[in-house]
Amino acid sequence: MAAKEQAGQASRLASWGSALVLIALVIGGLVATELVASAYIQRVVIGLGISIILVVSLNLSNGFTGVFSLGHIGFMAIGAYTAAILTLPISLKQVNLPDLPSWLARVELPFLPATLIGGVVALLIAFLVGLSLMRLSGPYVSVATMGFLVIVQVILINWDRMTRGARTFSGVPPYTTLWWVWGWVALTVYVVSRLARSAYGRQMIAARDNEIAAQALGINVTRARLLAFCISAFFTAVAGSLWAHFITSFSPKAFYFAQTFSVITMLVVGGMGSVSGSIIGTAIITLLSEALRNAERGMNLGLIHIPPVYGASQILMAVIFVLVIIFWPKGLLGDRELNLGRLFIKRRREVS
Amino acid sequence: MKTYLGSMLVVVMLLASACVMPVTPAPAPAQPTAAPAAPIKIGVIYNLTGAQASLDAPSANGAKLAAKEINAAGGVLGRQLELVLYDGKTDAATIGNAATQLVESDKVVAMMGFSDTDMTLAAAPIAAKAGIVFVTSGATSPKLPEQVPDYLFMACFGDNVQAAAGAEYAYNTLQAKTAYLLIDKGMEYTLLLGKYFKERFTELGGEIVLEDTYQTGDKDFSAQITKLKGLATIPDILFISSGPDDVGTIVKQFRDAGLDKPIVGGDGYDTPLLVQIAGKGADNTYFTTHSLMDPELGTEAVKKFIAAYQAEYNTPPENAFAGLGYDTVKLLADAIRRAGSDDPKAIREALSQTKDLPGVTGTITFQPGSRIPQKGVTVILVKDGKFTLAAEVVPQKVPAP
Amino acid sequence: MTTFYYLLQQLINAVSIGSLYALMAIGLAMVFGILRLINFAHGDLIMVGSYTALLLLVAGLPFGAAALAGIAASTLAGLIMERVAYRPIRGAPDVSMLLTSFAVTIFLENAAILLFSPSSRPFPAPPFLTRALEFGVLRIASLDLIAIVVAGILLVLLTLFVTRTMAGIAMRAAAQDLLAARLMGVNVNRVIAYAFAIGSMLAGVVGLLWSARVGKVDPLMGFYPVLKAFVASVIGGLGSLPGAVLGGYVLGTLEILLQGLLPPALTPFRDAFVFVALIILLLFRPNGILGTTEREKV
Repeated sequence: MAAKEQAGQASRLASWGSALVLIALVIGGLVATELVASAYIQRVVIGLGISIILVVSLNLSNGFTGVFSLGHIGFMAIGAYTAAILTLPISLKQVNLPDLPSWLARVELPFLPATLIGGVVALLIAFLVGLSLMRLSGPYVSVATMGFLVIVQVILINWDRMTRGARTFSGVPPYTTLWWVWGWVALTVYVVSRLARSAYGRQMIAARDNEIAAQALGINVTRARLLAFCISAFFTAVAGSLWAHFITSFSPKAFYFAQTFSVITMLVVGGMGSVSGSIIGTAIITLLSEALRNAERGMNLGLIHIPPVYGASQILMAVIFVLVIIFWPKGLLGDRELNLGRLFIKRRREVS
Repeated sequence: MKTYLGSMLVVVMLLASACVMPVTPAPAPAQPTAAPAAPIKIGVIYNLTGAQASLDAPSANGAKLAAKEINAAGGVLGRQLELVLYDGKTDAATIGNAATQLVESDKVVAMMGFSDTDMTLAAAPIAAKAGIVFVTSGATSPKLPEQVPDYLFMACFGDNVQAAAGAEYAYNTLQAKTAYLLIDKGMEYTLLLGKYFKERFTELGGEIVLEDTYQTGDKDFSAQITKLKGLATIPDILFISSGPDDVGTIVKQFRDAGLDKPIVGGDGYDTPLLVQIAGKGADNTYFTTHSLMDPELGTEAVKKFIAAYQAEYNTPPENAFAGLGYDTVKLLADAIRRAGSDDPKAIREALSQTKDLPGVTGTITFQPGSRIPQKGVTVILVKDGKFTLAAEVVPQKVPAP
Repeated sequence: MTTFYYLLQQLINAVSIGSLYALMAIGLAMVFGILRLINFAHGDLIMVGSYTALLLLVAGLPFGAAALAGIAASTLAGLIMERVAYRPIRGAPDVSMLLTSFAVTIFLENAAILLFSPSSRPFPAPPFLTRALEFGVLRIASLDLIAIVVAGILLVLLTLFVTRTMAGIAMRAAAQDLLAARLMGVNVNRVIAYAFAIGSMLAGVVGLLWSARVGKVDPLMGFYPVLKAFVASVIGGLGSLPGAVLGGYVLGTLEILLQGLLPPALTPFRDAFVFVALIILLLFRPNGILGTTEREKV
């Protein structure tokens, strides 16, 4: 018994220890990227961070509560446009958005407040939408959230006063930096992990696994789902704002099905219901697809010249996706978290 | 067991990615004067896959053909031209990465690409920041140059130019006093084209009797047609601002409903799909475009281009964008030649002084201070299912961007 | 054109488009009923059939032969899809199966882009399909009439199949309770194959009618039809064959109605209104109009 307790304590210590080491490594990695890496690598790392925020927040809704939302990119759009309209310099507003209501036309906010407002707007909309949708389940909620995505797209294209409609929204100040993105990554991961481990989190997972039993236990399933939906909408919108200030010009079509599929791919590969899984899944997909993109341009392997096959990377990613689903139907990590502490303990036991 | 396998898979994949990715920028190439054999590198980004591929893939083909011809004739300044081609995948983040790679790793001296404003704006600022010109072969928004000062050039006329040409032709030559306006709300190109047409046409004294809209990809226009037919008198012309994918369907349905007034449009009509889908209905349709890509009726330059394209790719040029890609490479090559070196600043200077450069899609001149070329507009009339030359128009007055 | 004729014209539009949606929705509903799988790749079956027919038409074959070949190609593609991508993951959570169908879609679409180039190609439909028939003031595209008639015939045949033949009854049994059906000796693999085959065949038919209506084919052409079919199935109630048919016609009617009746300022918002209507419907009938309340067995 004492040995087991000791092992338990050791495992917890090891978890904390390895968590700290991990954080140190990540910060070290970021510093290195900032100082030494090429602008290209920096862009990839920033893109990776934004994707991680998107996937981890989507996981909160799709993975932990089982509400498979197909419309989250709509929140990303809301965050992107709201923040971009707020940060756009007043002079550009006069040129690009001449019909903006006057109270908006006079406003020019710095990055953080604009991003926060974008997140809050998305959260409020998620609350209103979620009130009606969270009662649905299974494919019905998926179709309803997809409807939300279409509705957002249509509104973006037609509300030209605010969004310039289908025309490019350009001139967004390039505020996004490595540190902003990864700061938000840390916050998102922290909030989602804490939520997952809290009482609310356990309610969500219970409701996901067996809705009737959970209700029998007195869990308000709809409330748990709504909470997850709103919080995930907030962070998705933040990611939208970060993306908008990274790419600096975009139009509504960037927030439609293509983006939806790519985020879902990362979510599924990592494992729905695992935060560390989301991070790992996103990292794998992002790095792998960048690597494939460079590879598909053709390579010289000594004497053999491989000609370019454009589009091969998309097909390969689809194949990998199918393989992952077949062999690891719950994703690479399933719904377990990566527990580095246990890995170390295991090794010690094997040694003795 | 599965988790272990899973983590091994993760590690393997990450390692594999690290190997294939270019982690550090390539070492700087030799200085221009040192190695006479070093190629001149031009960065080319086109959306070879994704939604824009139907416009960009022919552009890329045209560009490659031009480079091949130039190199066969001895290259530029005695050096071979090397096109470093990246696929943008119709995705802004990918395009940004590709542009960064071109600047950093490939160290190109000029960049070109794209037929669309969004895509261009994802790459051009990166080129501009590095002091490198970006020439867009097919994006026609006249607002582009002001959005990327000094370094963004267009190789084709702006939409305000072609809309003005269309309006003047309709008013003066077709004697149209009233018009119907149908605009695709889902594309920047069609929105701008319609807006500029309305401005010029009303300025000339014409009247837009009815205005209507649709969404890109709509398949059914019965509602819009019914509204039009509800008017007491059908207007003299129907200006339909549409992209290449919808124009065939729209013209067909309008004609099938018995509307046979002249239909007028922009270079979105320049696609074989117009006649193939609308059949006889395509007759009595006018549109403005860059050139008449016809092996019999086109200019000498066009005929040569069509023959060369056919020989190289086993298909005639799919649309005018192939010609635009071709002309853009020739435009850059000419600028490099006149600059006498491959210094990006010198190239920019020389490019802005381009005068009367003949091309497949027209003669290119950049007026001082303007990075939109002055090119004549070709007005095409569809007659008996074939594209025929109606007029070459240089608009007298062009709406401000 | 008087209001009456205008409404009649729009009604015909609605029924015609509704027929196409209904045929597609049936394919989705059949597979969902038995496997709880929403096959997004269903849209690409349309694409496969259309391209096959196109290539044969261009090669000179008469339309009838090319059409049959196209339908056969869709059916074959559907069966291969089932065997290769879906059978290995049978029993996986619903979400995994949905996602696999996404992956299959991406794979097929990119493969088509590589094989056929991303540009649209015109579809040379024969004159009997593209002619417009005139009844007084009314102009009806023969295509619309043919779509309605073909859909009607197929629906009748299908109903006979699922109510009168052993295979059809076995399918319904499997949809009701897979385990019980298996215990009763139903060959589940064969039943699923039938479901895919029939659904894919219907997709092939829709592909031909759709290509003739739009006038062209392209690698991504299946995307919007399958989205509409999905929505139509949900409206009618997933898993219910009559529901799929009903949903198809309701969706077609809703779209045409909104396009025609919305004031000009609001017509661009048509798609948004369709989905708002859908969401409202789901609030009152969370399982669609004809869907059975699927409660898990505790």
